[in-house]
Amino acid sequence: MNLGTELFGFAFQYIDSVAFLILSAIGLSIIFGMMGVINMAHGELMMIGAYVTAYSIQSGVPVPIAILFAGIGAGIAGIIMERLIIRHFYKQLLSSLVVTWGISMVISQLFLVLFGPTMESLRTPFSSVKILIGGDIGFAILGAQGFSALVDTSGRLPPGVESYGVYRIIMFVVAVLLIAAIWALMRYTEFGGRARATMDNPKMANALGINTSRIYAYTFGLGSALAGIAGGMFALTASITPFFGAAYTVKAFITVVVGGSANFIAGLIGSVLTLGGVQTLFTNMFSVYIGFVGMIAAAFLILLLMPTGISGFIEHIKARSK
Amino acid sequence: MTHQKSRLLGFVSLLNGPQTMGRGWLFWGSFAVFVMLAYLAPTHLGIKPYKVNEFLVSAFLAASLSILWGYGGILSLGQAAFFGIGGYTFGVVGINMWDATGNTHLAFLAGILIPTIFAAIIGAVMFFARLKGVYVAILMLVLSLLFETFMLQTANPDVYSIGKAMLGGSNGLRPASAIPSTTFGWGENVAEFNGRRIEFYYFVLTLLIAVYLGLRCMLNSSFGYLLVAIREDPDRTATFGYDVRLIQLAVFCVAAALAGLAGSLDTARINRVDPELVFGVSANIMVVIWVAVGGRKDLTAAILGAITLEWMFLWLTTSGNPEYAQIVMGGILILVMLIAPEGIFIFLGNRLGRLYAHSAAFISRQEDS
Repeated sequence: MNLGTELFGFAFQYIDSVAFLILSAIGLSIIFGMMGVINMAHGELMMIGAYVTAYSIQSGVPVPIAILFAGIGAGIAGIIMERLIIRHFYKQLLSSLVVTWGISMVISQLFLVLFGPTMESLRTPFSSVKILIGGDIGFAILGAQGFSALVDTSGRLPPGVESYGVYRIIMFVVAVLLIAAIWALMRYTEFGGRARATMDNPKMANALGINTSRIYAYTFGLGSALAGIAGGMFALTASITPFFGAAYTVKAFITVVVGGSANFIAGLIGSVLTLGGVQTLFTNMFSVYIGFVGMIAAAFLILLLMPTGISGFIEHIKARSK
Repeated sequence: MTHQKSRLLGFVSLLNGPQTMGRGWLFWGSFAVFVMLAYLAPTHLGIKPYKVNEFLVSAFLAASLSILWGYGGILSLGQAAFFGIGGYTFGVVGINMWDATGNTHLAFLAGILIPTIFAAIIGAVMFFARLKGVYVAILMLVLSLLFETFMLQTANPDVYSIGKAMLGGSNGLRPASAIPSTTFGWGENVAEFNGRRIEFYYFVLTLLIAVYLGLRCMLNSSFGYLLVAIREDPDRTATFGYDVRLIQLAVFCVAAALAGLAGSLDTARINRVDPELVFGVSANIMVVIWVAVGGRKDLTAAILGAITLEWMFLWLTTSGNPEYAQIVMGGILILVMLIAPEGIFIFLGNRLGRLYAHSAAFISRQEDS
């Protein structure tokens, strides 16, 4: 394997892990940034999205629309959760943590009772399209036919050639598009203006006639919908269980905390680029477990150096240079 | 003579003090009746020790989170991490020392000390970095889950064994048959407390009462006042000249010692320690549910919460629909947080106290006229 192939492999893994982190954290980051509520049921909203996607695809809905349904389903679930329970816990950080943890347990156990321990796995879209690199080929994107012509009888690729799936790259593109869309929503729409005003100073915003309670509900719904979309996209790559989301909640939380809430989009970008890099590096050098430990250690170090997260640190530097 | 008397009074006032609910004859009278009933329960009330032993062990864990979260204001979503470390330590030391000593003194001690030392290291880093409360809460959960993942991949006995003890991956510590019960004494004069038998029940009940009274004294001493002061306003406490971080570290260590004690007792009780059961998400969330539902800001309420909820959980899992047990537990947590955020037993205790105060006032007024 030459250096170019290795670098491409590394870059591919990096993009993959960044995409996973963005998708799992973006909904949580909006909710935390806006309302200061850590939603421990975030993973369960993703799980709801995964189940909606799975059932939609099984009943013949095309994949992109199934993922859209996942967003709508999780968004509705989120708004119900917010109106019934979470609105009583604003500004009570620890209580909101505990109560959303309770919600997460109820939802996942309920899904276990309703749908059983596992779902039939979904086929990853474009799984027949492969990106090949290295060896005598150099670089090629092949469909199923070209790929089967290339491999030998026991399904092995020629020496030095590595193959990668296309869906991971699509996930990355979707993640980037979602960030851009959220940025545009916050920057250019009336809802975005009201939301930012509420985030800055809820009392003043309320005094100026913004219905902050409604803004909170919509924002929570938006964050939940993003979680649902992420869950729908992950459902196509992993097996779906009622406890599917729990693993993502922790990673999403770490990503959001490292990003900080001063400017959640800039924070999120900075955070996923750093943590994704650390995770990829350590996973490559040691194991998946060490990769995760390394990510947590990095998050801890960043918090020690920048207690308000990466975005808080950026704001701090900006304020000093003025 | 008078000196001794004043010391005795001082001790009584520590038990009664303002940081713990319940004082006066009514409370201590019912406490005595309750304790007596508890001692008589297995022989006269038909309570099966092998069932309730688990609840008593849970009570230590609940007490641990109550002093940390309820009194110190430090929420940890991973308190079971120390429970698990204590459990594994007891098992490993017990297996290795049994042949040499024939008792579990060292294992019992190590099961408390190792989690405490671990807490001192983690706590020093977290508190001296002035990590925010939410981050501490989640970091502890992450640590617990990291322990779970680590222990799950220790199936290979060639790499992962400590002396005669093999960590055993998802099967838990092996050889399980070699994990001793709690045993005290030397040579011929040993007292062994088999976790399924009535002796263990008496042993743990006595230990629980002793720890309960000891913690009441601690919480009503100046240390307890400091804890509550930090919970209410850490900045103001710091301006009075106290090192908030040091006191947070101290209570973190005490809580870890208690959780480690609970873990040791649990390993000794069932002669087994299993990574998913001690470090997993549900182990951690159950502790939070007991304490939040019972009432985190009072030791008695938290302990009662653990015992009643464990009882209910056992009843739910054995009465036909075990899959609903966790849903009911989560539902209770959410309802209590919405309706009586201070916890059920604190709510009831306050009501009872007010009722008692009212009737007492009423009686004294009648006597006046």
